[in-house]
Amino acid sequence: MADADTDKSAHLAHLLARTALADQAAFAALYQLTAPHLYGVALRILREPALAEDLLQEAFVNIWHHAGTYAAEKAKPRTWLASIVRNRCLDQLRRREPDTLTMTRNEDEAEMEFEALGPTPEELLLSGADAHSVRGCIEGLEGAQKQAIALAFVRGMSHAELALHLREPLGTVKSWVRRGLERLRKCLEAAGFVP
Amino acid sequence: MDLARPDRSARLDALAAAYALGTLGPGPRRRLAELAQRDPVVAAAIRRWEWRLAALTAGIPGITPPSRVWERIRTRLGLADSAAAPSRGSWWANLALWRGLALAGFAIAFALGISLLAPRGEQPFESVVVVLAGPDAKPALIATAERGSRFLTVKAVGDVAIARDRSLELWMLPDGRPPQSLGLIPASGVDRVALRAPAGVTLQNIPALAVSLEPAGGSTTGAPTGPVLYTGRVERTY
Repeated sequence: MADADTDKSAHLAHLLARTALADQAAFAALYQLTAPHLYGVALRILREPALAEDLLQEAFVNIWHHAGTYAAEKAKPRTWLASIVRNRCLDQLRRREPDTLTMTRNEDEAEMEFEALGPTPEELLLSGADAHSVRGCIEGLEGAQKQAIALAFVRGMSHAELALHLREPLGTVKSWVRRGLERLRKCLEAAGFVP
Repeated sequence: MDLARPDRSARLDALAAAYALGTLGPGPRRRLAELAQRDPVVAAAIRRWEWRLAALTAGIPGITPPSRVWERIRTRLGLADSAAAPSRGSWWANLALWRGLALAGFAIAFALGISLLAPRGEQPFESVVVVLAGPDAKPALIATAERGSRFLTVKAVGDVAIARDRSLELWMLPDGRPPQSLGLIPASGVDRVALRAPAGVTLQNIPALAVSLEPAGGSTTGAPTGPVLYTGRVERTY
């Protein structure tokens, strides 16, 4: 399993390196191998296929132009690609939402439908924690901290949206997230997970 | 505030974590991103959190995107026709077609407006059309949305030429209040602009939209900083 992962990472890193040299076939292969995962990530956060499609398109145009900067990074290719997509999604979400959040949340039904389609944000977070240490650290979080972090991570919710969604004061939600992350970091460091 | 100073490192780490997790509000998010561009210590703190957290995306199930996504990427980048789906060509680059559609758009909006005056039992088709034109009154961009939709579709229909280091930003012009950004729009082709509420709600009290020329990435002040190139009235076809 670990070896297969390493092989896949090495292959993706190779494709990225070839893409940086404007190798179109490598870029096409990179797209084929990674687009479904990245589209899934974008769709979870943006929740509208048309928006996720556009975002994926922009992300890959960007990857074509900036694949060369990957060499300087120390992350796995998949991590690097996923953070590009997540960041773009978050930028887009935050752009359409003013500092003072006034949105009316009558989308709860739609949300529940969406959730019924698959695992909850917490389950997704855990199933993604392939590394043993990461899974243990997440499971070790308190319920509220875990839920807040999962919603933020998988759905791209802001502090204000979390407060609205969880029906808790903003300050409470902020401190759950902050303490949860702090605990996650300490646990990961103690487990030897050094990014 | 110098976040990179050693005594600030705990605060920086907390901000970087919230940034990577995505919980920072729009203002702080933008400011931290700007700081990271200038300051490698800040950039590294964000990257460490992105790596810690991005590993967790592995569990999110993959969904194969429609083949048109790859087609668009290929066309945008001018890549060779590979073994993938056959090229449909850059049909949206055809200005004559869009000019024709722009005129048709007027006609359709007019027709819909009229036809909806007639009593009918079923739910009427409701939409919003904004034709954005410059001082020469030639349509440059057309924005449309169905009333319940959470995005505006923006089509470039004129010769909109901007420098590479500039972006076009779309604004709502509420009566008696400052403009509100709807986000960046393309100078060519078709794009969708996300709305935070259905179009009928977002544009409810908005008489007009405008497009300004901004630095790449858009205005960072929350208000238009460059010249306003195009404006258009929000027409409701219901």
